[in-house]
Amino acid sequence: MSLAQHKSRLLLLSLAAVALVSCSGSKETVKHATAKAQESRKAAPAFTLTDSNGSKVSLKDYRGKVVLLNFWATWCGPCQVEIPWFQEFEQQYKSKGLEVVGVSMDEEGWQVVKPYITSHKLNYRILLGDDSVSQLYGGLDALPTTFLIDREGKFAFPPHVGLIGKNQYASEIQSLLEEKSESAALGLQSAPAILLPGAAQ
Amino acid sequence: MASSLLLPSCCLAQLNKIVVHPPDPLTVVRGASVEQTLELAVLPGFHVNSDKPKDETLIPLKLTWTNGPLETQSVSYPEAKEIKVGSQQVMVFTGKFQIQTKFHVPAGIAKGSSTMTGKLHYQACNDTMCFRPSSVAVTLPVSVE
Repeated sequence: MSLAQHKSRLLLLSLAAVALVSCSGSKETVKHATAKAQESRKAAPAFTLTDSNGSKVSLKDYRGKVVLLNFWATWCGPCQVEIPWFQEFEQQYKSKGLEVVGVSMDEEGWQVVKPYITSHKLNYRILLGDDSVSQLYGGLDALPTTFLIDREGKFAFPPHVGLIGKNQYASEIQSLLEEKSESAALGLQSAPAILLPGAAQ
Repeated sequence: MASSLLLPSCCLAQLNKIVVHPPDPLTVVRGASVEQTLELAVLPGFHVNSDKPKDETLIPLKLTWTNGPLETQSVSYPEAKEIKVGSQQVMVFTGKFQIQTKFHVPAGIAKGSSTMTGKLHYQACNDTMCFRPSSVAVTLPVSVE
């Protein structure tokens, strides 16, 4: 066998080895979503709402963090499907800079939302929405409606209206967590610690 | 700016998910009881919670007669269909269905034309999203003989 033939054979074997490794894994590979170009992103509308402990929470408190902002209601079946995913994301990605924030649009207010938080052991902050925030975020006639907001407080992806796949959320979250931002670089103050109902201060 | 973000769902949300067919005029006799049938239709692709959802957090469909000369004795709903949403089993109405109301005609009411007004409160969803609870006004012409 000539040197050229030997090199060709080695190349083919290498390519085959790479293909084998790529196909043999049973772990699902998440394709990274492509966020909007940073210069074209629009600022998420500012709001201040109240959490289940009575604390005032503003969107600007989360500058420097990637925010998954989910509008939902206790009467919304598809919302219930997503909530366990969001609980997982909060655990998995919090240390990397993700904050999951749920805004309940229940008209009956904390009377129905607080028991839901307790019974479902929600591990992320829940705020109570109002007509004002509803108008700011497009009317919210359909739930769930979810926004991914980058560390600069801007919409990085189109809003998700209705139930979408868990992997799509994971992909978008990972994409944003990997982005460099001026806020993160400057080490701006992060959001106040979440106080879950009944937790000692 | 914010409204432009959600244009498709804005249009979808504004669509009434349930159609209430205008009821035919009801002719009644003083002192008697009478039954009225309201015909409804849920748009294809959508469902509404039944009058008795399994989960107390879900918003039931409810017909309430709010004003008019007749006394409401009972409102009866059809048998609901069970569907699965996520891990939940949900009782819903889909397609065409009817709601029966039994009225009592007071003996002392005036003869002639009148109107019963009511409200149908419901909450609709499709497979991937739910819409805000909504109400539809119902008007029933009544002729007292």
